[in-house]
Amino acid sequence: MSVFKMAWRNVWRNERRSIVTILAMTLALCVELLYSGLVTGYLRGMEDDVLDLEVGDIQVFARDYLDKPSLYTAIEDPYALLAQLSAMGYPASVRLLGGGLAAADGFSAGVALRGVDVAQDAKVTLLGAKVADGTWLDPADLHGVVIGRRLAKTLEVKPGDEVVILSQAADGSMANDLYTVRGVLMGVADATDRSALFMNAGAFRELMVFPAGAHQIIVRRPDDVELEAAAATVKSHAGTLTVKTWKELMPVVASMLESTQGLILFVFFIIYVAVGILILNAMLMAVFERIREFGVLKALGMGPLHVVSLILVESAIQTGIAVVAGVTLALPAMWYIGNVGINVGKLGGMSAMGLAMRPVWYGIYNVGTFSGPLVMLVLIVFLAVLYPACKAAWIRPVEAMRHQ
Amino acid sequence: LACLSARPGFAATDDQRAREIVDRADRLLRGESSVGTVTMEISTVNWQRTLTMQIWSLGTDNALIRINKPEKEAGTATLKVGNNIWHYLPKVNRTIKIPSSMMTASWMGSHFTNDDLVKDSRLIRDYSIAISFEGERQGTQVYEFTLTPRPEAAVVWGKIILEVRQADLMPTWQRFYDEEGKLVRELTLSDYKMMGGRFVPTRMVVRPVDKPGEQTMIRYDDLAFDVAISADTFSLRNLER
Repeated sequence: MSVFKMAWRNVWRNERRSIVTILAMTLALCVELLYSGLVTGYLRGMEDDVLDLEVGDIQVFARDYLDKPSLYTAIEDPYALLAQLSAMGYPASVRLLGGGLAAADGFSAGVALRGVDVAQDAKVTLLGAKVADGTWLDPADLHGVVIGRRLAKTLEVKPGDEVVILSQAADGSMANDLYTVRGVLMGVADATDRSALFMNAGAFRELMVFPAGAHQIIVRRPDDVELEAAAATVKSHAGTLTVKTWKELMPVVASMLESTQGLILFVFFIIYVAVGILILNAMLMAVFERIREFGVLKALGMGPLHVVSLILVESAIQTGIAVVAGVTLALPAMWYIGNVGINVGKLGGMSAMGLAMRPVWYGIYNVGTFSGPLVMLVLIVFLAVLYPACKAAWIRPVEAMRHQ
Repeated sequence: LACLSARPGFAATDDQRAREIVDRADRLLRGESSVGTVTMEISTVNWQRTLTMQIWSLGTDNALIRINKPEKEAGTATLKVGNNIWHYLPKVNRTIKIPSSMMTASWMGSHFTNDDLVKDSRLIRDYSIAISFEGERQGTQVYEFTLTPRPEAAVVWGKIILEVRQADLMPTWQRFYDEEGKLVRELTLSDYKMMGGRFVPTRMVVRPVDKPGEQTMIRYDDLAFDVAISADTFSLRNLER
């Protein structure tokens, strides 16, 4: 009789125990699959938000700007570097940064002025698509500005309303002008939400009497270049300028993303240890219940390896059923989470670590999120079953048959 | 022994006299009301500029400053009523109120803050005063006073030291220290003249210690005290005139 046939019969000899074991594996697999996709989606979403909306991959500043931001600490000729970078396939865009006061109808607040080159900026950020109300900047509308959502609340303005901006221009004169709010952003990140005011680079230059130079260059890397390698390439063209990767600019976020990954592995591990103990228990029971039977088999001349393979095949059958059931059960839920997403409702826009949470949470399902839980399950089952299998295989027939 | 017993009496009269001298110096440029023309020269490491402006004040609560030059900013005005500051911006024809978070920001790019305009700090009310030097410095007999804030006073400085000439009790300089005792800025007074019926220092230079090479100079071109100004001068309506 083939090993498989014997194993199959053995599995169904104690239906209840086998079903409980299979159910435990199925449940564990389902949970792990959904969990791994959800967390991957959350982390990826967060990283994408950080990169697409706030920092890009790499930023370039004039030396000392990061230590002591000032209107006067500027990159003198940003466009030469921009041309070099884009020739190498690195999209890049300049930002002009300054501070000031925005006022509207009796309300006023300090603002971070951000002058952007609208056409070029679209190649490095997705901010233009993150306008909740109104529209993004238009290069033709020099007096249109887009503001963060909490700033809009503070000033009590909506698209179409006027704001006065007051600041100190580079020549010491009082910079002031009247602008119209074109758009209000969705929740992006704390600092942006609270104080950012985006305007055309040209409008910034006129307001601040700042005819040339830039304070910041945002650089994206080509898909096939690693972050560190990309930073090294940018550095080699940047001369004395300061080049920082997003991980250096937002170390808290970067380390949080990393530690969250570690946490996921830890939770995976705990679930699998629980499943492993369950399987170990079930298999130990299955083996010791049948210890006399194994004694008989051995007395009839069955070799130890034969016994081991018999038990391994038994658990392989159970695992196979669990995998099919688990994946079948998880698939619709995965499809839903991946395509429709979980509406986190009121949590959307709330922020963790200065980053706004997306209103809809999508899971990500790919080979990686599938293979991890599957491989782990098979491995754990194998390890859990090894001990009872060996125990049964090398038992002495006389002892086994005397076993009560 | 006679000396020792006499000392406490001296100290008491000295203290009273110190308070009088400091209060006099403190109020030199303050009248019940005043109108004046001021030139302000600001020098920073990045730019230099000169502003001329007209100033009206009534009591310690009301002040109006209107810029005449440079041309680009002519008409820009600052109104102070109590603890509030508004700017009128003629270019956009809007008045904006300075939020409390911006009170420590520079006023018109100078080395004075909005707070400096607003803070109604009477030295003798907020500080206890001690004579820390009395004698000759660079050929002039001077007093030096050290002012430490009274426990209940809401002031920004940890200590002020000021020097006054003995001959005419004119202040020569004031040094402002933060709560850690670090020198933050220095105000130098000079060019004493008769103006508006009073003998006053007409030139003041403030130097921030953390920005070497920078300073703001204020010069009174003319000044009249105790003139009739209606309270209506210090209204938002008049600000936008």
